[in-house]
Amino acid sequence: MKDSTLSKIEKLVFNNKVEEAQFELSKLGAEYNKNASYLYLRAKVFYLNKIYYLAIDTLLIALEFEQNDEIYDLLGKIYKVLGNEELSRKMLNSNLRHEAANSVKDDLTGIYRKDIQK
Amino acid sequence: MIKLFWNTHNQVTPKTKEPNDERVIDYNWGLYHRKNSDKWIYRILSKLNYKIIESYKELNSGDRLIIIDSSIDKKIDLYTKLNLICSKIFLIHLGDESGQKDLSPIYDKCNFIWRTFCNNKYFNKEKISCLPIGYKSGVELKNPDNDRKYKWSFLGNIHKASRHDLLFQLSDIKPSFCYKTKQFNVKIIEADEMNVILSSTIFLPCPNGFIHPETYRLYEALECGCIPIVQNTYKYYDRLIPKNPFVKIDIWKEAREIINSWDEEKIKKKKNECKIWWKQYIEEIQNKLNNKINS
Repeated sequence: MKDSTLSKIEKLVFNNKVEEAQFELSKLGAEYNKNASYLYLRAKVFYLNKIYYLAIDTLLIALEFEQNDEIYDLLGKIYKVLGNEELSRKMLNSNLRHEAANSVKDDLTGIYRKDIQK
Repeated sequence: MIKLFWNTHNQVTPKTKEPNDERVIDYNWGLYHRKNSDKWIYRILSKLNYKIIESYKELNSGDRLIIIDSSIDKKIDLYTKLNLICSKIFLIHLGDESGQKDLSPIYDKCNFIWRTFCNNKYFNKEKISCLPIGYKSGVELKNPDNDRKYKWSFLGNIHKASRHDLLFQLSDIKPSFCYKTKQFNVKIIEADEMNVILSSTIFLPCPNGFIHPETYRLYEALECGCIPIVQNTYKYYDRLIPKNPFVKIDIWKEAREIINSWDEEKIKKKKNECKIWWKQYIEEIQNKLNNKINS
């Protein structure tokens, strides 16, 4: 769910005011930790700062709370930058993305899973 | 007199066994540091003369104390007592990977603090200095003249995206050694075997830790004569250790290119640079500790 605070940050990101967006995000409390839109914006800021791995970690967590195209699309873009063409292609394909993301999450021991006790 | 008191393992035994309970975590880390950090810490203190004590009750008025400790936020009473007895307190603070707690009530009672896992809060502080976490006790170079048969190796936990990509990028570069564990600090191979593997490795990728960029792996690489490849996230290592010789990458694709393209001469040069630098750097830390504690 996107509230007015997140909409404001989204505009900052859209206008390439990355530092300002980062500052606004840092002010938000723990109540946003399970908010997919917040996690997406954090990931987008990581991505714009070229901190790709933190962006992926954050997007994978966001998917635990909401499945939406923009999350998968950003994952697809990042895997392309990293040189993992196959994973990029799968993340950008609406028929394959869900399974691909879950497969990555299954390989990782440190990503939050809502329904799986590790 | 200078006395040294290792206090990481002296924790209140938790009443719960719940692994995520903070008291259990602190307790386990205290034991972990005692077992795994002693060789590193005693090495960097090796230019000093001190007497090891097992309890603060062995302190006399006016003693200078070097205390090695963790979970200090729960030990305010101890530090209040120490502050009354000792003429100076030098704290070597291990652990605290997240750096989120306000430790000023304890730090204020000490004359100088060296702490691991640095962050913005602690860089460039007058009475706090950042200390590398070092290598785990038991790690050492085996057969220094041996040919290194592995181009790269990785032993550890694939917890997040960086390590996942590391394996994706490097897996087809052979010969290599790779062993994935399910969680941190699970014994997979004997220390001796690990020393042989590291001592047979040319490049050791050192991805970021679970919370903090720094891991023991980097210092184990240096100790065993490997070329460490570190992630350059937030330029952490250049801030912690300026002018270090580590190979730095932003994404693991770059490491792949390096491992595949460096010729023997380039590898030999970098390996030698790391070896000389590591020896000098330890000496530098030893001198800094010595000068501060004896001043």
